[in-house]
This record gives sequence, structure tokens and C-alpha cells, in this order.
Amino acid sequence: MLAQFPLETHSRGMITVAGMLRDAGMEVVVIGNATPRQIVETAVQEDADVVGISTYCGGELVLAEDLLAEATSKGIRDRTAFLLGGVFPPRNAAKLRDMGFSGTFPPSSTKSEIVSCIENAVRSGDKSSA
Amino acid sequence: MCSRTERVPLYNPAAIDGIGRDLDRWLNQVVDVRDREQFRLTPLSLLGSEISRAMLYTPLDTPDLDYGDLGFPGQEPYTRGIHPNMYRGRTFTMRQLCGAGSREYINQRIRSLLDHGATGVNLILDAATIQMYDSDEPEARGQVGTVGVPIDSSEDMDAIFQDVPIDKVSVSIVTHYPQNTAILFPMYLVMAERRGIPWNRLQGSVQNDFVMETVVRSASQYISPRDAFRIQCDNIQFLRTNVPKWNCVTFNGYNLREFGTSGVTEMAVALANAIETVSEMERRGHGPDYVGERLAFFWSFASDFFGEVARLRAVRRLWHRIMRYRFQAQNPKSMWMRCHVQTSGISLTREEPMNNIVRASFHALAAILGGAQSLHVDSYDEAYSVPSEDASLLSLRTQQIIQAETAVTEVVDPLGGSFYVEALTIEMERRILDELDEIERLGGLISAIEKGWLHGRVNEHIKREQKMIEDGDIRLVGRNYLRSPDVQMPDLWVHENDAGLESDTAQRLRQMRQRRDNQEVGRCLDRLKGTCRGQDNIMASCVEAVRAGATEGEMRRAFIEAFGAWAPPKFTF
Repeated sequence: MLAQFPLETHSRGMITVAGMLRDAGMEVVVIGNATPRQIVETAVQEDADVVGISTYCGGELVLAEDLLAEATSKGIRDRTAFLLGGVFPPRNAAKLRDMGFSGTFPPSSTKSEIVSCIENAVRSGDKSSA
Repeated sequence: MCSRTERVPLYNPAAIDGIGRDLDRWLNQVVDVRDREQFRLTPLSLLGSEISRAMLYTPLDTPDLDYGDLGFPGQEPYTRGIHPNMYRGRTFTMRQLCGAGSREYINQRIRSLLDHGATGVNLILDAATIQMYDSDEPEARGQVGTVGVPIDSSEDMDAIFQDVPIDKVSVSIVTHYPQNTAILFPMYLVMAERRGIPWNRLQGSVQNDFVMETVVRSASQYISPRDAFRIQCDNIQFLRTNVPKWNCVTFNGYNLREFGTSGVTEMAVALANAIETVSEMERRGHGPDYVGERLAFFWSFASDFFGEVARLRAVRRLWHRIMRYRFQAQNPKSMWMRCHVQTSGISLTREEPMNNIVRASFHALAAILGGAQSLHVDSYDEAYSVPSEDASLLSLRTQQIIQAETAVTEVVDPLGGSFYVEALTIEMERRILDELDEIERLGGLISAIEKGWLHGRVNEHIKREQKMIEDGDIRLVGRNYLRSPDVQMPDLWVHENDAGLESDTAQRLRQMRQRRDNQEVGRCLDRLKGTCRGQDNIMASCVEAVRAGATEGEMRRAFIEAFGAWAPPKFTF
């Protein structure tokens, strides 16, 4: 499932990644702009394995925290992989990983990088739930 | 050109015949067989037009070229420039975006850029302000002051422009959308009013483009293209009457192209919007010069160097033809395709970011050779964050070096007359016109957008371009071409968000709401909703609401309540 935080103005990244994932044979749900709560609620409804966030306008650390907190409270934190892509300061990539994001993708990330990250995340998710 | 009806070809037919024979001989006897077979190639570049190029251009590529198609600069059809002396008379406006942060910080940045020789101000807004949310709305969390300055009410304008000579400096306010223009520009006007500066002395521009609002922008809620277009036109009418020196609309090709279109679509859509606007003004009882003399265009300049120069020359000629022959404009100013150019952000790479300085310099040079009026050079760190102060200064210096050291500005339209550039200019003009026709066959731009044509066009472009990058057909040095075996991401200074800014801004806003007369604000907002539902121009009610202290978020909610929500066509993947 791909989403953007509520006031994000750019969507080229999300559209591009949606195309890449569909080409790779994945089922993709694109919800666009939504609050962390709406994103998690939709992830529950859609039973999403992976939630990808596209962000260009900053504030990614604050909103990523909110997103994970919502995921915890709705009980999907452990069975969902969270990814984030877009324009953000390089040092925030490490912070997002520490927070629990499985992957971060700055501009010029390739299809194979994104797809293999998702495949790994889903595979390790399957193992832990088994 | 306009006085004579018969075309006078520049090249005489005998010379053309002779050159044709010589070209055949040269091709067959001198040129290598492989070069002959691949005489025309199509260069692929980001946001490119995919127009094939010959290995060599000669008069045969434009055998019936009439000098009247070019004319003299400052004369119809303005192919060679809108002023006789171009940059000798007045250099291009060096208008760099002035950064992100608190209103006090931005005030300092504006003054600092002006002290460093910038000749215009380019105010950019944070995401909450662009999307018309107050800094204390829940959705604004994390978005205050990150990519621009937060503005909630006219008091923020007071702080941002404190001690800035707004009666002398031209101020571009990147309002993007018609709705946002109807909110933020009144705040600017009320600020000027408080400083005792008459509105008729203010100079600058707003964007005010409904395509930007309904197609380019990602958002959770939209009003319809028809309503957004009506606000666009209401803004124009109000500005023409009350702020006569202000450019009331900037047809924004830039963001559409960066979102994902060719340079041809970029220009066709902007022209289509301009045509709809002039027509709507006619329906409202104003001639073509009413809006024509105070509109501008905003273009993206990417890496296909000659393609970009040709495009600018082409659209200048085309705009002249549209205004003169379709609308019978009288004022030469209305036939001037005046524009601001920003170098392409999407053409920059994250890898080896210093390479972007070189890229942006070429983009900027093309804009100047093409005859742009105003320029912003993107900074090398765009793929990392909002530009740092150093990177931003380097962009300004790039412009100044081109202007002061390279001597390219001494000669007007220096590429005019090049067999290649003239042929490419004609080809660009033809393609822009073809797409313009396509839009008109769909019933005009508003209908085309409602039918999903533009969304589809963007969708297709993004997919195709992504594949060309993945396949290496579009080469980006350091990224997918000649990539270093060991790519190190440099440790750049990136824009730091001020942690306290959001809460300080929100607190100040709450205090302002306590100080103002809330009953009066409520009455003003009700009147605004009333005018939105009716036929009258909405702007007077907007100014009145802003004077009473209405905030951006309150006005956004009034609009959506009055106009209702619109579900845009979906992007497919």
C-alpha cells in the first residue's frame, strides 16, 4: 500500500513506484494523501503486507513516529513492513531504520532495490509469524 | 512582416537547388556510410521532446524561411526577443527562491539576497501554507516551515516583508493555486495598506494557475477545475482593477513538466490555459489586452540545450500569433511572451551532487540564449533538501557569472539564423500547436482535464521515462551512466528544521485569533461563502475577510464548503 502524508504536494515518486511494483507482479493499493491514522486504518482494511510512504515536504521523522505509533495501537506493527522514499536528509535514513522502517529510498533508487527490499521484508515477516 | 502578405524567402531557389545537389554529393561521397544511415537520430533526455535531429543542418531544412518569421527583437513576431536591446537594456531578473524557515528568518534571507545583488524576491511557502492549512491544524503536523515560510494571516506578511522596500522591489509570491492566491494575495495587500503603500505601486507576480491546483498538486481534497478556473479569473479581474502593475497570472508550465510531461506538452497546456483565460475575460466584457498585458509564463529548462532554446523562441512566436490573429490584441505588451524560467530540478541527481552545478549552468545558459526575462537556478543539493544558504548563493553566482563574465548577453538572440536552431524552432512551434489543437478538440483545457486527458498524459510520460532511465536510454552521468564503482553520498549540509517553529507559530496564531473580532470574522466568512455560491467576483470578500483577521485555513474551509469537493481522474499504474 502506498500513501503520502496529508499535506504532501508531490506525487510523481508515488506514481513511479506504484508502476514499478505492479510491473514486479505485486498487488498495489495507492491511497494518496492521508493522515497516519487513516493510513493505518486502510492498511488494516486492506490487510497490507507493506506500507510505503512517499515524502518530499519534510517532517518525515515526526510523521513516521506517528505512523508507527498508530500501527502499534492497531496491532499491525509486527506484521507490516514500513518503507519510506522521497527527499529527506541523508542522516534521517538511519533514524528511520532505527525507528523500525525496513527500507528508505532516496531519489534515484532503482526498481530492483525497492522490489528486493519488499521481498525480503515480506519473507522475514512470514518467518517470524510462522 | 504584417504589412506584407506575400512571403519573401531568404534563400533564392537557385541557391537552394545548388545546395541540394551539393548536399547529395557530400552525403554520398564524403560522409561515412554509417553516418549516412543514421543521419537523423533522436536524442533522449529527461523531460525531452523526442524530436529527431539531423547530423547537419543547412538552408534546405528551412528552404522557405522568411525573415519576417523572425523579425527584429522588440518587433513582431518577437521570435528574437521582446525587447530591442534585450539584456543590454535590462538584465534578466535574478530571482532565487528565498528558502524555508520562520517568518523572521525569511525576512533576513530576503534582505540578504537583495544585499547580494538579487533583483527580485521569490517567496516560497511551506507545505501547510501551499495546501492552505493553518499551522495549528492537525494535518499540518511536521509540515510547518519545512520547505518554505508559514503564513496563516496577514500579520505574517507584516513580519516577512518588514523593512523590505515593496514599493521598489518586485515580489513574486509562489501562491501556486487560484484558491491560495485568493487567500494569500489579499494578505499581502492588507500588509501594504497597513504600511501606507498604495496598491498601485506594488510590483510583482502571483502564480494563480488552476492546472497547478487540480492536476499537478497532490491533495486529499480538491474543488473542480471549473470552480478553480473561475477563482483564477476572479483574481485576475480584481488585480487588474486594483493592483494594475501586478502580474495577475503566471501560467505555470514548470511544475506540470517536472511532474511528468514533455517540453511540448508543458507549453501547449500553458497556452491553452492562457487562451481560456483571455476568452473568459472577453465573456466578462474585457478585451484581450486587459489580461494580455499583465500575464506571464513560467517554464522549466532541462538538459536538451538547443531544444530548450528553440522552444522558448517558438512559444514567443506562437503567443504573438495567438494574441494578434486570434484575439486581435492591440497592445504589443499583450503579444509578448514574458517568462520566468527555473532550471529543472528533476534533471538533477543525488549521486555526485556537485555535477548538478554544471547541469544547472547549462540549463541557465539555454534560458538566457532563449531570451528569458527572469531566472531561478536550482541548487546542487535539491535531491537532499531545501537548498542550503551556500548552495543558494552559488545559484545566484551562476547567474551573475553568465551575466557579467561570459559576454553572452551582449548580443540579442545570438543563435538566431542558425540553420539548426531555426529548423528546430519551427518544429517545436508545430508540435506545440498540434497539442494545442488536440486540447481544443477535447473542448478546451477545462474539459480536457475533466475528461482525464492531462492526468493520462502525465501518467504515460512518467511510466515511459522511468523505463528509459532504467534501460539506460536516457543517460545521467554518475547515476546510470559512467557511475562510479563506489558511489559515496557526500556529507552535505542540509536544511535543519527548527524544532520549536511549529509550536511557536501555532501559539502565535492562537493568540491572534483571541485578539481579533471573531464575530466579524465569522460574518466575513459567511459573506465569502455567499459570493462563492453566486456570480460576483469573490476577491472583495476575500480582502474583507483577511482585513478582519481570517486565517488561511478558515478561508480554505469556506471555499470547500461553498464549492463542494471534486474527485479528480485517477492515475493508473
